[in-house]
Amino acid sequence: MSKDKTLGETLQERGVSRRSFLKFCATTASMMALPPAMIPVIAATLEKLRRPSVIWLSFQECTGCTESLTRSHSATIEDLIFDTISLDYHHTLQAASGSAAEHAREEAMQENYGNYILVVDGSIPGENNGYSTIAGISNKAMLLEVAAGAAAIVAVGSCAAFGGIPKADPNPTGAVSVSDLIKDKPIVNIPGCPPIPAVITGVLVQFLTFGLPELDQLGRPAAFYGNSIHDRCYRRPFYDKGLFADSFDDEGAKKGWCLFKLGCKGPTTYNACATTKWNDGTSFPIEAGHPCLGCSEPDFWDAGSFYKALSTPTEDIGKTAVYAGAAGLIAGAALGASLRARKQSAVKNHERVTIDDLDQES
Amino acid sequence: MSGPSFERGYNALKEEIDAPTAAFFSSCVHCGMCAEACLFFTETRDPKYTPIHKLEPLRKVWKQEYTFWGKLGKALGLSRPLTDQDLADWESLVYDSCTLCGRCSMVCPVGNDITYMIRKLREGMAAAGHAPKGLIDATKRAVTIGSPMGVKLPALQAQIRHTEKEYDVKVPMDVEGAEYLCLLSSMEIMNFPEYIGSIARIFKKAKVSWTLSSQAFEATNSGIQIGVSDIAAELVQRIVDVAEELKVKAVISPECGHAYMAIRWDGPNLVGKRFNFKVVHILELLDELRTQGRLKMKDKEARKLTYHDPCQIARRGGVIDQPRNLLNMLADNFVEMPETGKMNWCCGAGGGVSSNERADDLRLKTFARKKAQLDTINVDAIVSACSNCRIHLEEGLEEYHMELPLLSLTETIAEHLAEE
Repeated sequence: MSKDKTLGETLQERGVSRRSFLKFCATTASMMALPPAMIPVIAATLEKLRRPSVIWLSFQECTGCTESLTRSHSATIEDLIFDTISLDYHHTLQAASGSAAEHAREEAMQENYGNYILVVDGSIPGENNGYSTIAGISNKAMLLEVAAGAAAIVAVGSCAAFGGIPKADPNPTGAVSVSDLIKDKPIVNIPGCPPIPAVITGVLVQFLTFGLPELDQLGRPAAFYGNSIHDRCYRRPFYDKGLFADSFDDEGAKKGWCLFKLGCKGPTTYNACATTKWNDGTSFPIEAGHPCLGCSEPDFWDAGSFYKALSTPTEDIGKTAVYAGAAGLIAGAALGASLRARKQSAVKNHERVTIDDLDQES
Repeated sequence: MSGPSFERGYNALKEEIDAPTAAFFSSCVHCGMCAEACLFFTETRDPKYTPIHKLEPLRKVWKQEYTFWGKLGKALGLSRPLTDQDLADWESLVYDSCTLCGRCSMVCPVGNDITYMIRKLREGMAAAGHAPKGLIDATKRAVTIGSPMGVKLPALQAQIRHTEKEYDVKVPMDVEGAEYLCLLSSMEIMNFPEYIGSIARIFKKAKVSWTLSSQAFEATNSGIQIGVSDIAAELVQRIVDVAEELKVKAVISPECGHAYMAIRWDGPNLVGKRFNFKVVHILELLDELRTQGRLKMKDKEARKLTYHDPCQIARRGGVIDQPRNLLNMLADNFVEMPETGKMNWCCGAGGGVSSNERADDLRLKTFARKKAQLDTINVDAIVSACSNCRIHLEEGLEEYHMELPLLSLTETIAEHLAEE
């Protein structure tokens, strides 16, 4: 496949029908909640696109994000996408190894300098390079080097986006997220542990078609992360009625009531699981009877027990409560004493009011 | 003495602010529900009559003297401190358009006792010289003459002589060791002397040991209404002294609303000690006599009656069931007005409003509410137990061209007493 061919030409060569292509465009448009009028725009843009070069760097990660992507059941969509880009460097997926692999990366960087897309999964360890190196290069050095020539960066997975599990307390490697290190490039975060495959591909399509998508305050594309799981959950009516499962095998659980009391983090988690679902739209954790872990939110690993309701404190607040109580008592007593003194002085200043003190004239 | 001054008024407000006041102001949610509970708002629809708004000067002092942000704002010149003009501007809101009826306190969703705070605000208003002329004069008469209406002992003695002749009863005076010391309101002596004859007849039949006092016959307390605790305490003290001197077991508050509140609820706090006698309202005593079988009726009242609850007796005093027990004993056809008992609507003249001529038009305007209540039940007569309510209701009925007799509950009972 030549990199100079447009996507349209590539697809024709590969025998993808125009009908399948438009179906893909329509699906993508609906996933991003775009009006149907945008379908031809997506199609036209994608058709004319030259396959952009993509460099995929994996740092402190578990390969789950790549697994998510490759194990997707919606093969037509994902294959399509991966034929639309030129994935020039990806540890797990590329055939080359050793210095040949690094050579591919360097060549892709040189050829497309300033124009390639950098995808990162995994967090980056801190000062001690020993925690994670690739071909003798520290993760941080490699990230800075590749990021310098990138048009934009996509941080896939919670580790790249927020530090994820490597950053979990006590964070032995000093892990940080991509956005902690790179400040001068547009970064799109696609958090999740792992992210939904269709969301990864959807964001890439959106990116190729319209440029940088609209992001929320955590750098996530609003099209996929705009609603909480809770707001879109099919069990929401039970929450509204106050019907909860209290354990995993009680009557409520069997009847499919709300899992809030079992620790569901749906109300504070923004992701598309409840609508896009997993495994080709088969199900998602809550539908399978398990509370949402909140994996697409920062520091989800440290947000208390997965099985404690959101309304319970995440830490042992005993001491804090005692100190706060004591401080409150002291402050309250001091304030009370000062106000009482103020009032006492008013009482002291009281002059007895007699009937001669009532008239203005007297 | 130094006379009234803004400084004295301001100091009085600082002095009056206590923990409940601070809690009330902090918890006000500005819902405005008190407006719909207030006679002066419902009959005028003027938002300035919203009860909590009437407290603005007191709220300002609380905020600027006792809260961090208020003190900071005042120090930085961001909020204007209270001025004498503010108090002058609020005078008519605090005295003319509040009868201390307490209905707003009942509806407040956070439990703020607005009436309690109006009473406190009046302390500052009076000390700053912003009390209404009519109330100042009444207060002076109460202190110097012994009655806000200027009734002196000879006038009472004349009424007693007249009563003893007419009803062939003895009205005991200054009897040491009597069980009850009976108090009167000036209005009863001057406008409704039948009250004296009524209690004399009832007590004679029921064999109640009682007495009047030549030293302290007046039950009303202008100090409460104008908002000067020093004077209110002095007036209460006169009664306490006599009650102790005559060694009575209990003091009877007459058919008057605020007199009951003054002696029963505020009294011990004003003089700063527990009474060594009980205080009962005449209706409480009558109902007690009824349950003891000491009240025997010769016949029943044929007219269709309703009862107007005086605010200080019912809502602020808790004497709600007793008049109803008595009325059901007295009449077969007793009906309630809509919204009675603790939620009754004030006549419009309590809390010193009737002593304040400036408020005359306003209080007659507010009578429309009572008229609307009465229009729904179509009765032959109204019964009440407060001579101030009674006088104002009569004026209101006249103003609205309604022909309805107004009866005193005590007097009506006396008229139906069984013969020996």
